[in-house]
Amino acid sequence: MQIQEALIALLVLGPLVFGLLMLTGVKGVLRNALVAVAGVTTIAAGVALPFYSGVIVPDVGLPTLITTLGNWIEPMVILTVLAIGFSIRSWPVRIMALIQLGLCVIGLLMSRHEPLEETKLVVDSLAMIMVLIVSVIGSLIALYAIGYMNGHEHHAPATAASNNRFFFVLISFLGLMNGLVLVDNMKWLSIFWEGTTLCSFFLIGHDGTAEAKASARRAITINVFGGLAMSVGVFLAAHSVGSESLSVLMSKGPVVLLPIALLAIATMTKSAQMPFQSWLLGAMVAPTPVSALLHSSTMVKAGSYLILRMSPGLEGTPLAAVVAIAGAFTFALTSALAIGQSNGKKVLAYSTIANLGLISCCAAIGTPLAYAAGITILIFHAISKALLFLCVGTIEQSIGSRDIEDMGGLLFKMPLTTNIAIVGMISMMMPPFGMLIGKWMAIESAVHFPVVLILLVLGSALTIFFWAKWLGRITTTSYHEKYTIESISPWMRTVLAVIGIGVVVASICALPIYEQVIRPVSLLTFSEQASNINISILDSVSAFLGWPMIIVIGAIIMALATGALLFKPSRLRLPYLCGENVDSDETTYTFRSIADAPSTAMLTSYYLPLFGESRITTWANPLAALIILSLFGVLFI
Amino acid sequence: MIIPQTPLMVVLLVVLAPLFGALLCGIDRRITARAQGRIGPPILQAVYDTIKLLRKEPMLLNRVQIVYAYLHLAFMILAMLLLVFGQDSLMFLFVFAFSTLSLVLGGMCVRSPYSRIGSQREIMLMVAYEPILILLMIGFYLVNGHSFMLSAPMTAAKPMLLSLPLLFIGFLVVLAIKMQKSPFDIATSHHAHQEIVKGLTIEYSGPYLAILEIAHFYEMALLFFFIVLFWSSPAWVGIILASLSFFLMTVVDNAFARLTSMWIFKFMWTGALILAVTNVLWLYWASK
Repeated sequence: MQIQEALIALLVLGPLVFGLLMLTGVKGVLRNALVAVAGVTTIAAGVALPFYSGVIVPDVGLPTLITTLGNWIEPMVILTVLAIGFSIRSWPVRIMALIQLGLCVIGLLMSRHEPLEETKLVVDSLAMIMVLIVSVIGSLIALYAIGYMNGHEHHAPATAASNNRFFFVLISFLGLMNGLVLVDNMKWLSIFWEGTTLCSFFLIGHDGTAEAKASARRAITINVFGGLAMSVGVFLAAHSVGSESLSVLMSKGPVVLLPIALLAIATMTKSAQMPFQSWLLGAMVAPTPVSALLHSSTMVKAGSYLILRMSPGLEGTPLAAVVAIAGAFTFALTSALAIGQSNGKKVLAYSTIANLGLISCCAAIGTPLAYAAGITILIFHAISKALLFLCVGTIEQSIGSRDIEDMGGLLFKMPLTTNIAIVGMISMMMPPFGMLIGKWMAIESAVHFPVVLILLVLGSALTIFFWAKWLGRITTTSYHEKYTIESISPWMRTVLAVIGIGVVVASICALPIYEQVIRPVSLLTFSEQASNINISILDSVSAFLGWPMIIVIGAIIMALATGALLFKPSRLRLPYLCGENVDSDETTYTFRSIADAPSTAMLTSYYLPLFGESRITTWANPLAALIILSLFGVLFI
Repeated sequence: MIIPQTPLMVVLLVVLAPLFGALLCGIDRRITARAQGRIGPPILQAVYDTIKLLRKEPMLLNRVQIVYAYLHLAFMILAMLLLVFGQDSLMFLFVFAFSTLSLVLGGMCVRSPYSRIGSQREIMLMVAYEPILILLMIGFYLVNGHSFMLSAPMTAAKPMLLSLPLLFIGFLVVLAIKMQKSPFDIATSHHAHQEIVKGLTIEYSGPYLAILEIAHFYEMALLFFFIVLFWSSPAWVGIILASLSFFLMTVVDNAFARLTSMWIFKFMWTGALILAVTNVLWLYWASK
C-alpha cells in the first residue's frame, strides 16, 4: 500500500513539482535534463503502478487535509478561468466561469461532508491502462519536445512565450491527467478537468500569433462550456444522490439521468465530438508536441476515458442510444471530412475525432464486446496517433510544409522518419493489428442498432480513402542507390524510434494484449452479462487471432527478403509516359513532347469537393447539435 | 457444405484455386470472343500467359513495388482461406480489402502518372463498394441466427438468396467491379477493349505482373465460392447460380462502355446502398 501511494503521488504531484522547477528559469542543458528526469520518472512510475496494485486494488483513502484543500483549489481554478475570460475579453467564458463560481460557493455553503468516505482513488484496470498511456506516451512526447522546441525557438514568431513556460505547462499537464484518471470524487474530477482546459489554452496559444490566439480562445470557450456542464452535473448529482462519488452515481444508473446526461456532454466537448470539433482542429497551430499530446494521450482521451467509465451507468438508460448515435455520426462525418483535406495535420485531426467518436459510441452500446472494442481503440489509437503526429511534425520542420501533396519522394529525403510514419499508418489499417481489431469488434457490437451500424459501416469505408491516398503519396519514390539517414535532433530521433518500435511490438502482440488485459477488464465490468451471447464473439476474436498471423507475417518477411535480394539496379526502368523519358535525377515525370520539347506531367490526388469542409459542416454541425440536445429530450420519455 | 480445416486441404486450395480462377478467365475470354465473332484463345490461355510472364526478366521502377505485389498475393490467399474455412466474415472482408489496398499502394509508389490515376480510381471503387459488402455480412448475421462466422451460411438449410435478394443484386454490382468489367473498369480493364494505356498495373511487368495475375485468379475463385454461399444446400444450385452470375458479367462487360469514377461512387452510394440498406432493415423488422 505504501509503495502504491508513493507511486500515485509521483504520478500526480511529480510532474507538477518538476513543472514548477521549470519556472525558476533554468536554461539550456539543465532544463533539458530536468525535462528528461521528469519524463523518465513519470514513465517509471506509470509502468510500476500495475505491479504494485495487482489486478484490482481497493480504494485508497486520501488524507483529510487534501480533501479540504480541494475546497480551496476549486474556486481558485475557476477564478483563473475568469481571469482568462477577462484578459481575452470573452463574454461567454466570463459568464460560464461566474456560473461555475456561484455553483461552487453554493456547494460549499450547503455541503455536509464525510470527506474520508467520498474522497477516494480508483486504481482499477481501466485506470491503470489510462495511466500507462498518459505517463508513457505523454512523457515520450515531452522528451521529443526537448529536441523540437530547441529547433522551434529559432523560427518561432517573436510573440511566442518562453520555452520554460511551455515545459511547465506541458509537464504539469501529465500530472493533471493522471489525477483526472485516478480520482473518483467528482469535485476533484472537475478540478483536474478544468486544469487540463487551462493547460491546453496556454499550449495552443504558445506562439502568440493572431491565429494561435484565436485557436486558444476557441479551445477555452468550448472546453469551459464542457466544464460548466460537468459542474452543473456534479452539483445536481451531489444533491440528488447525496454523494460526489462517480462510481456511486453510476451505480444509481437510471434514477439520476440529468447529471449523467450533463457529464456525457462534458465528455463530448473534451473529446471534440461534432459539433464541438473546431477547437481540436484549431489546436494544430501549436507546436507539434502539443498537437501530439492533445490528440493522442491526454486531453481528448480524458473525454473518452470518462465516457468509458460511465459506460456501466449508461447501459440500459435511454441516454445510451443518443450517445451511441452521436458518436457514430461523428465517426462517419469526420471520416468524410478527412477525405477533402490535403493538410496532413488536419487529416490526422479528423481521424482522431472519428476514432474518439467510435470510442464513445462503443462505451454507449455497453456490451462486453463494445466495451472491449472501446478500450482496444483507446490503447492502439494513442500509440499510433502519437507516432504519426510526431512524424508529421518532424517532416514539417524539415520540408516546411504539412501538405500531403508535398510529401512525395520523402522516402529518399527523410528515410527514417518516413519509414516510421509508414509503420504508423499501416498499423492504423492493416489486419490483424490493434486498430482494425477494435473497429471490427465495434461493428460487430453495433449490429443490433441499425442506425449506429449503418453510420459505422459508411465511416469505415471512408477511412480507407484518406489513409490510402496519404500512404501512397509518401511511399512514392524513384530508385536510389544509397539512402542516407536525415539529421534530426537525437531527442526526436530516439523518441520516434522508441514509439515506432512500440507500435510494431503492440501490433504484433495485439493477441496477448487483448487476452491478458482487455478481455478480463471488459468481462469484469459487465459481469452481469457474462452469460450473454456477446461473450462468444469475444472468444471468437481470441480464436481468430491465432492462426493466420503466422501466414501473414511469413509472407511479409518473404516479400521483403525477396525484394531486397533479387533486385538489381540493371533491371531499373523509367515509367511509361506516352513519350520518350527525359532522364534526370530529380524528376521522372518529364518526357519529350511535341518537337522534342520536354514536358512535365502533373498529378495530384483526389480531394473530392463533395467532402469539402464548408459543404459538410453547414448541415452536419446543426444536426449533431440536435442529436446532443435530444439527450434532454429522452429524459422525459 | 463444410470444408475440413486440415493442412492437406490448405495445400489443395492454394494449388487448385488459381487454376480454377484461370479457367474462369479463359471461359470468359472465349465467350467474349464468340460474341464478337472471333474463335478466341484456348481455355487455358490465361495459364500459358502467366507461365510465360513468370519466365521473363524482372523489370521494375523501385523496390517497394515488389513488396506490395507479394502483400497483395499473400492477403488474397489469406482471404480465400478465411472464406473457405468459414471464419469471421468481417475479418475476411478486412483482409480482402487490405489485399486490394496493397495493389493500390503498389500502383501509387511509382512516379508514373498512369499508374497513379489507376490507383486513385481503385480507391474510389473500394470506398464505393465496401459498405455493400459489410452490409451483406450483416445480412448473413441476421439471417443465420446471429453468427458472424461464414460457416453459418454454408450450413444453413434455407438458401440465403431467398432472404437477401436485394443484397444479392448489390453484390452482383460489386462482382462487376471486382472482375474489372465495364462499365466499372475504370481503374484497369481486364480485357484490352477499353483503354490504350493500362491503369493500375501499368508499371508491373514480367514475373511481378504474373504475381498480380495469380492473385487475380485467386480472387476469381474466391468470388465464385462466395456466390455459392447464397445457395449452399444443395451446393450444385449454388454452383449454377455462380456460373450464371459470371456469365452475366461477361454479357454486361460486352454491352457497356466505362463510366467515370464519380458516377460509380454516386451510383453505389445511392442505388446499390439503398438496396442493401432496405434488405438489412427488412431483416431487422422481420426478426422483431
